[in-house]
Amino acid sequence: MTAAPTGKGFGRLVVTIYGILAFAAVGRSAYQIPTSAPHVPLAYWLSGFAAVVYVVAAVSLGLGRGAWRRLAWVTVGIEAVGVLTVGIASIFVHELRSDGTVWRMFGMDYGFFPLVLPFVGLWWLWRTRRAVEPSSPDPSSPETEPESER
Amino acid sequence: MVLPLLLVLVALCLALAAWALAFVVRDRAVILRQLFGAGVVELALIVQLVVAGVLMGRGHHVNAPLFWGYAATALVLLPVAAAWAFAERTKWSSVVLMVASLVVGFLGFRMWQIWGAA
Repeated sequence: MTAAPTGKGFGRLVVTIYGILAFAAVGRSAYQIPTSAPHVPLAYWLSGFAAVVYVVAAVSLGLGRGAWRRLAWVTVGIEAVGVLTVGIASIFVHELRSDGTVWRMFGMDYGFFPLVLPFVGLWWLWRTRRAVEPSSPDPSSPETEPESER
Repeated sequence: MVLPLLLVLVALCLALAAWALAFVVRDRAVILRQLFGAGVVELALIVQLVVAGVLMGRGHHVNAPLFWGYAATALVLLPVAAAWAFAERTKWSSVVLMVASLVVGFLGFRMWQIWGAA
């Protein structure tokens, strides 16, 4: 693997914010789903789904090498699609707007971090796709494997 | 929860965040003494939660699952974030500590809202 680890430097902050959102989403759905059972609204299931995605994204970005890196691409990508889809849907669907799901109104309840974060994550994965060796005399390092699978 | 204890907790969180910010500006990593600072914040949180538990035992009504959900998150967050920050030896570790302490302060404030709501 010639890609740089995603959990170092600025990545440490990215993982931290993913971790905090993971805590928030897990906490929210762990409260919402049992307390509304057996008729759990779709919005709460979406919170639960978002929680799982955040946990996996935080862990895979934190480990940040090899297969974890690919898993990070996938989960951060799902998150980007999810927040946009649920965000747009929540404008039109009352059930998704009124009662909290993490991605409602593009993550408004969490200071819009859920909207910004996946794009920061994707940018960071792209940015670290090659290891940077500042002390290396040869800047033309060998080609990395293509990591362009979204 | 008791308001003076909440104010102490929030003040400690802000102080720790300011300390971490000073380190960010000076491009420094988190030092061990700041982890002790995080320990003091954690202690203030524990005291507040013990007091909250006693008051609930004496009949203060609160949405308990919600309250303790926030409490558990706040309790776990700072030690995990501090360890995660300390493993990094760049200024980003100070940014992580700053963010974590601000979030703990915010969680304290949210718990105060939940405490008064029921």
